[in-house]
Amino acid sequence: MINLTIDGQQIEVPEGTTVLNAARKAGIHIPTLCDHPHLKPYGGCRLCMVEIEGFRTLQASCTIPATNNMVVRTTSEQIHKARKFILTLIFSERNHFCPYCQVSGSDCELQNAAYGEGMTHWPLQPNWQPYPMDASHPYFILEHNRCILCRRCIRACSELVGANTLGVEERGAKTFVIADLNVPLGESSCVSCGMCVQVCPTGALIDRRSAYRGQNTTVDHHQTLCVGCSVGCGVDILTRDQQLIRIDGDWDAPINQGVTCKVGRFYPAFDDRERLKAPLLRKNGSLQPVSWEEALAAAAEKIKTAAGDGIAAIVSTRLPLESLVLFRQLFADRLGSEMVTSTEEGSRTAILSRWAEKLGKAFESKIDQIHEADAFFVMGADLINEHEVLGFFIRRRFPEGIKLILVDEDQNRLGDLAHCALIPQKKTGAALLKGLIAAVAKLGQNRVAFNGQPDEEVQKASEACGVASDLLLEAAFQLTNNEKSIIIYDPAVTDDEVMDLIIKLSQTSGAAMISIKGGANALGAAQLGLDKSLKLNGHRLAYIALGDEEPKERLIQQIEKCSNIIVQASYHSRLTAMADVVFPVVNWLEQDGHFINLDGRLQIAARVLKPAESIWTNEAVLSALADKLGTALESEWEKVISQRPSPVSIAA
Amino acid sequence: MSKPKVASDWMAGCAGCHMSLLDMDERIVKIVELVDLRSTPITDLKHPDETGVDVGILEGGINNTSNEEVAKMMRKRCKILVALGDCAVFGGVPAMRNFFTIEETLRRAYVETESTDAEGKIPDDPELARPTRVRAVHEVVPVDIFVPGCPPDADTIFYVLSELAQGRRPDLKDDKLHWH
Ligand code: SF4
Ligand code: SF4
Ligand code: SF4
Ligand code: SF4
Ligand code: FES
Repeated sequence: MINLTIDGQQIEVPEGTTVLNAARKAGIHIPTLCDHPHLKPYGGCRLCMVEIEGFRTLQASCTIPATNNMVVRTTSEQIHKARKFILTLIFSERNHFCPYCQVSGSDCELQNAAYGEGMTHWPLQPNWQPYPMDASHPYFILEHNRCILCRRCIRACSELVGANTLGVEERGAKTFVIADLNVPLGESSCVSCGMCVQVCPTGALIDRRSAYRGQNTTVDHHQTLCVGCSVGCGVDILTRDQQLIRIDGDWDAPINQGVTCKVGRFYPAFDDRERLKAPLLRKNGSLQPVSWEEALAAAAEKIKTAAGDGIAAIVSTRLPLESLVLFRQLFADRLGSEMVTSTEEGSRTAILSRWAEKLGKAFESKIDQIHEADAFFVMGADLINEHEVLGFFIRRRFPEGIKLILVDEDQNRLGDLAHCALIPQKKTGAALLKGLIAAVAKLGQNRVAFNGQPDEEVQKASEACGVASDLLLEAAFQLTNNEKSIIIYDPAVTDDEVMDLIIKLSQTSGAAMISIKGGANALGAAQLGLDKSLKLNGHRLAYIALGDEEPKERLIQQIEKCSNIIVQASYHSRLTAMADVVFPVVNWLEQDGHFINLDGRLQIAARVLKPAESIWTNEAVLSALADKLGTALESEWEKVISQRPSPVSIAA
Repeated sequence: MSKPKVASDWMAGCAGCHMSLLDMDERIVKIVELVDLRSTPITDLKHPDETGVDVGILEGGINNTSNEEVAKMMRKRCKILVALGDCAVFGGVPAMRNFFTIEETLRRAYVETESTDAEGKIPDDPELARPTRVRAVHEVVPVDIFVPGCPPDADTIFYVLSELAQGRRPDLKDDKLHWH
């Protein structure tokens, strides 16, 4: 531990702590601009300067480590003069028109710093050199006139996301934030995660939907979950007067630590689908708005007629456990339907549940392992296009020298970064895995005894899958040569043989295993047994609790065959247009409930907006229907989720 | 002791700062009790007394030769010069035109504007003030007190005037200090 004095206060901090962080720990405020608690210290703006006894000049507190017996002062005439001078230079560099800047008022760290120094004006005026604005990106705008070159955006883009899209060109006063080799952001390699917007201290990065609609001082913050996929990122949702303003990554969320992808940050605010506002009933061929009473009565009538095996019931994996369990109770337990499943039909989870049962225990690890692993074996999972945050967690660690082994039958954009990209011929995943297991044995790194001739087996596998044997050996080397390795796979591309081999590879190489699950509550649905593959034969009625999910083409095509369709949904879609009865329900922002993410974390999504009066919760619709059918439902999800072995341990 | 004399004028601004001054409602009576309000753009007397005033207030930036004269006259005739509002303090909205040449702005305003017919012509009467780059007041004459805000709110203006009236120097901070 290090002992130092800041403004007369004795402070003890661990070795390596910067003076800035030591001050923060003691509750002493030092103004900063380029520093960000979640980015590496950079020391570019010099606003955080302090006096340290024994040093001739002021020192940047964000980069200088605290040392024993250091005596630091954070305020003095000299310091205030220096801060004012730095701010003066920053304001003179570009063009700041605060009255019409979306962050002026409370959200601009530059302006706040100037107020903090009591600046009523700029001693040096700007030279009014106009700077361009890049409005080519669909979700945000880069307004160079307000950029202070703190490089937080650039550091977030590489340190947090690993996208490395942003950089600078030129030097000195001509320095410019650019995307790639200076292309418009909208045409760049940007993955639209929005982290740059989240960390920008000024109004230089403008979120198109939230700008001018609210500020920190005028909005309400809600810490909740993204239900975009099974990663289950924590988000901070800003609302004002019952309107969604903006979504930020929640820095305190254990899973994603502030990082989100575009699905979590931008999609909800840019969702322009038309909302369902009243129950609809098909009369004389067309859907007409009716009262809840009439719609419920009509639906109950149809359900009674089709009861039992005549009903196929499908529920969205974007709905909370509370909804899923009532859905299962009503259709499987009370009405006796055999075909009760989820919109994902267990396409990823069914095989995992089967193996959990077979092994009698959980076999997958927690997401935290990704932050510790130094070799990644990614099989089938396209982490560029879905479960993106997992992809960010890998990409951002390349500067540390991590190794990536990629197995994909198709081209995968992660492939550019891979140390070994193994592209097996179609449907030869099993052979490839056998080859890898043999290769591990050939290197003498196998933790499980290997029966057979490793050399021969590697050769055989190489011929079968079309991947050269030295590539197999190289992959096996990376997998076992590193301290911690991890296998990340997509169960959708496995079958029992492949699954068995992945588990064996994990055992023999010592690599941990993690799989992507799909929807936000795909694992929850699996635990409730809502994972059958949907087969319609002679079903007279399809009941779909779609929530705010956009119906997939495959579902629409299958349902089309049904003569009676009842849908509960938040938005108009091709599925609701086909339906005979439509119940308008809440979307994810308007409902409370529990979700189980891909690594078994049981999380609560909190309601952040009040639904309109004519819109019901999914649970309310199911309970009202049960009532009409002369039965009652009880929410008992806590008991049910652990009745079945799970691929990863489930806990809050 | 006689009441301090106060004069004000406006230049390249929108008059919003003077409107904000009026927005202090009945407190204006208190101000009038405390000070001797001389020339303002919204009262009869238009120029500060030749014999001088104690406090001169300028709204707006300086965007032509006429504004220069106004600013210089005010500076000469007042002891304490107050720059009132973002345009006077920073340049504000009018300064956005500094991104273009004067020729470009004039063409846009008098010739190319959608509502201008084929006869559009840049006025060139030698009697007219000559447009210049838009400057904050302190780029042309020294300023003693800066009151930013677009506009500064009535409470801030009241505070500034009542402090000055009582011979104190206003100290703008916390909710009185804003640039928007
Ligand atoms: S970025 Fe900050 S300082 Fe610049 S115009 Fe916006 S509010 Fe003003
Ligand atoms: S949105 Fe993400 S990927 Fe795109 S520039 Fe910003 S930080 Fe980089
Ligand atoms: S865009 Fe924002 S975060 Fe990036 S360098 Fe400029 S001011 Fe900093
Ligand atoms: S990775 Fe998944 S949970 Fe995280 S923000 Fe993206 S869609 Fe949402
Ligand atoms: S915050 Fe320390 S140099 Fe910028």
